[in-house]
Amino acid sequence: MILPDTPLKSLSAAVLVAAGGLAAAPAMADDFYAGKTIEMVVPFGEGGATYVAAKFLEPFLEKHLPGNPQVNVRTRPGGGSILGANWFQQNAEPDGETILFTTSSTSNPYVLGMEEVEYDLAAMRPAYSLPFGAVIYVSPRTGIETPADLHSPDMPLIYGGIAAAASDLPVLLAFELLDLDLRAVLGFDGRGPARLAFERGETNIDFQFTPAYMSQVVDMVEAGSAVPIMTGGSVGDDGVLSARDLAFPDYPSVYEVYEELHGEPPSGVEWDAFQAIGATTFNFGLTAYLPEGTPDEVIEIFEQTITAINDDPDYQEQSQDAIGGYDLLPASAVTDSLSEALQPSDEVRDYLRTLLSEKYDVEL
Amino acid sequence: MLENIVSALDILFQPARLLALFAGMLAGMVFGMLPGLGGVAAVSILLPFIYLMDGYAGLAMLLGAISVIYTSDTITSVLLGAPGSPASAPTAIEGHALAKQGKASLALGVGFLASMVGGLFGALILSVAIPIAGPLVLALGTPELFMFALVGLCFAASMVGRDIALGLAAACFGILLGVVGAAPAAANYRFIFGQSYLMDGLSLPIVALGLFAVAELISMVATGGGIAGKPMALGKWGESFREFWRSRWLICRASVIGIFGGFVPAVGASASTWIAYGHAMSTTKDKRRFGKGEIRGVASAEGANNATVISDLVPTMLFSVPGGPAAAIFLGALFSFGFYPGPRMVSESPDLMYMIVWSVALASVLGAAICFAVTPYIARLTRVNFALIAAPLLLIMVAGAYQGTQTFGDILALLVLGIVGWLMKNAGIPRAPVLVGFVLATPMEQYFWLTTQIHGFTWLTRPGVLIIASLIAIPLVLNAVRWLRRRRTAVPQTETAVPGEEPPGHDSDIVLFTALLMVAAFGYALVEMLGFRPNARLMPSLGIVPGLLLSLYVLGRQLFRLHRQGRVANLASRRELPILGGILSYGLAMWLIGFNLATPLLLGWLLLGCARMRWHTALLYGMAVYAVAQGMFTLMRLTPPRGTLLDLPMPW
Repeated sequence: MILPDTPLKSLSAAVLVAAGGLAAAPAMADDFYAGKTIEMVVPFGEGGATYVAAKFLEPFLEKHLPGNPQVNVRTRPGGGSILGANWFQQNAEPDGETILFTTSSTSNPYVLGMEEVEYDLAAMRPAYSLPFGAVIYVSPRTGIETPADLHSPDMPLIYGGIAAAASDLPVLLAFELLDLDLRAVLGFDGRGPARLAFERGETNIDFQFTPAYMSQVVDMVEAGSAVPIMTGGSVGDDGVLSARDLAFPDYPSVYEVYEELHGEPPSGVEWDAFQAIGATTFNFGLTAYLPEGTPDEVIEIFEQTITAINDDPDYQEQSQDAIGGYDLLPASAVTDSLSEALQPSDEVRDYLRTLLSEKYDVEL
Repeated sequence: MLENIVSALDILFQPARLLALFAGMLAGMVFGMLPGLGGVAAVSILLPFIYLMDGYAGLAMLLGAISVIYTSDTITSVLLGAPGSPASAPTAIEGHALAKQGKASLALGVGFLASMVGGLFGALILSVAIPIAGPLVLALGTPELFMFALVGLCFAASMVGRDIALGLAAACFGILLGVVGAAPAAANYRFIFGQSYLMDGLSLPIVALGLFAVAELISMVATGGGIAGKPMALGKWGESFREFWRSRWLICRASVIGIFGGFVPAVGASASTWIAYGHAMSTTKDKRRFGKGEIRGVASAEGANNATVISDLVPTMLFSVPGGPAAAIFLGALFSFGFYPGPRMVSESPDLMYMIVWSVALASVLGAAICFAVTPYIARLTRVNFALIAAPLLLIMVAGAYQGTQTFGDILALLVLGIVGWLMKNAGIPRAPVLVGFVLATPMEQYFWLTTQIHGFTWLTRPGVLIIASLIAIPLVLNAVRWLRRRRTAVPQTETAVPGEEPPGHDSDIVLFTALLMVAAFGYALVEMLGFRPNARLMPSLGIVPGLLLSLYVLGRQLFRLHRQGRVANLASRRELPILGGILSYGLAMWLIGFNLATPLLLGWLLLGCARMRWHTALLYGMAVYAVAQGMFTLMRLTPPRGTLLDLPMPW
């Protein structure tokens, strides 16, 4: 049949497409993953925090994704997560069957523009995020009881960390923002050994991510050997890290502490830098990325799945112990804010590079 | 407490859990025996399976594997001379020397029994010490950790061998290998040549495999025949029990040393094993047999390394700071089952604690028993033409190396280190000191940096530091006193010839080439190092500067000898060159056409060319080996290396 090229043809085509779309969408979503296998790539070793969180999420994803796919967690360690992310960039197809599940260890080198980075994180599509909050605490020997005392400690503050350009970056930026006078000793081989040094009294200000804080530091706080001061905060309605950490509603955020000390909300390049790095570390701490060009349909499927997991009573019950009780953030709550954090202004980038090279002797 | 101990036994003695423990043990034994696939490989392969079980069964499975690794890797160390891990290096040196003298059963028997005692000591410490070990672990600050690494290095000097210049140059080379990657003290990447593969540094299994296993494999294929050259008599077990009983106190002391090693994260297993080995040396009157097959060396090392791997669990469970890589994976498993290690877990879940203790104890005893049972069968393998064993062994090593990062860098690193190991072996340079330098470089640098940053120089007066320093000082003083006394009594010592063959002369061309290579490597490293940030320079300079001087000395000495004695050609070394070439070609072929296509070529060459099998048996055997290798990759959830030119994908 040959139709003359009339508006009617376009119209009928549009109707057909729309009808087809309406009819097809639910059907496709229902069994999109039936018989498929999802590979969740974790660019760290077995047994690490990211691996444990991925294994925790695995059964919930299998249960709630349409078609109940098999989800396999696959580790690809090396290069501080860069090797695994590079592999993902080069090999993953945008079919929703390969996910990169990673932390700020992958995003910081990207934001800082390190040479070894071959992946374009901002072009990837986030599927969901799991917040990974952190609490900064001090030793009672410092005499610090509230954030207001931070500038008048009884003894010089000494902080133990791993490396300035790695997961210590947001905390160091918070110290910078608050203009704290402290000495940072970097070179520990993990947050655990850094915490041991705090317990031994070798350092006197430290931070731990929520799961480790819950299992290790809460006891110390009860015993009076640690004093919680503030958290990194979480992304509020304004899209920046202004709200309190949902796992620690009693402790102020860095944002609030600044406000309390200075009488005005933080601003300027120091704040922008903390906000960019802090958001990817804390609020979007563990993020699942899908390759660039993944169709909206897949994103939509994950959107609904994440809502279902958050409503699952089993998830609510088990997540308290395993991951600090955070709800998963669906793509709609992640995409814009994360994209902004991953692509800070040139001014912020310059500030970060200058700070790292001049103060922490980091060669980028 | 007593009721917890009994109820924990009740928890463990469920059929499913015992089965899990047993399955874990079997995996641990197999992986311990396979060169290069130690505890980390075993535990990470088991990890996905534990999620199919209940928490206790899953943990029992991992513990079963962890507890027997250092028992079963004695077999490889003794029969093959390739240590499964740096902590087994003394066993490989002494035990393999004994095996060559036909005393394999003695070395193996004492090794198994000492491992068992070490494991039981570890279990005892877990049950007794966990409630009280907290303050002890906390008393070990960064200065003490640094001292412990230093002591390990000093004691490891005992493995240097007779030619001190060569041994020290090798240790310096190990330090050079150890500082590759990110510097702990400054944000500086060292010697990575722009490769992200090298950012994390070289991985321990690959270094151990390359230096030892590849070189041993090459020479054994070249020699043809079995491992011992002549049929190896296993001998009777009886002598090993008698020797074990004679060394019982040494083994107990070594186990205690090992336990302390477990309390020290990162430095643990290697340092404590070498300290125990050094201790055995200083308490043995006749030291001449060390390096040539001294059973007390095996006894002390095996007692210490098994105790360490168990007591690694103490900091893991008290502070969730894992003592070693296998303990790190165990920690992840604890988290996954909803156990959150910390003082609270110790007091709140005593059942779990004692279940762990029982698992470890049971696995240690059963593991030793199984090792005794299977050794005669494995010893029989040593009489088979080695080219037949080499084929599966090489494929296992490739799989083990490739597990590191699953990039071709793993294979390349394995081959390059294999060449280095082969050169060192044929030039008569001891390889154990390389491992020592490699393992201890990073923790020493890290802890030295942290120590001076936190404490300034006051750390030198800390009591813990002084106590640990006395570990170095006291044996030195004792030895000096003994030496003085011997001089005063001046008993004329008659040199009794030690049984054991003198090594044949080393090929002077290879010695010269290796010395030149070392001078070039150290020289290049020195130039490169000058570009590092000051804080990143200290540790490399400790290896590079003496390394350069020593290798220049070795080079000069070799030139002098050449001038005086003329060239020495060692036919054995020359005969190995085609095999080395073959293995390198395999690497190249893997890069071009992938593992799946290159491996049949390798098998054809090894089975038809080297082992001279008839073609139909070779075809059958080759297919079986190929299937097993593919099975290994599937089991480890790895896709074998792909070719850059063409690739044959597997249907699964």
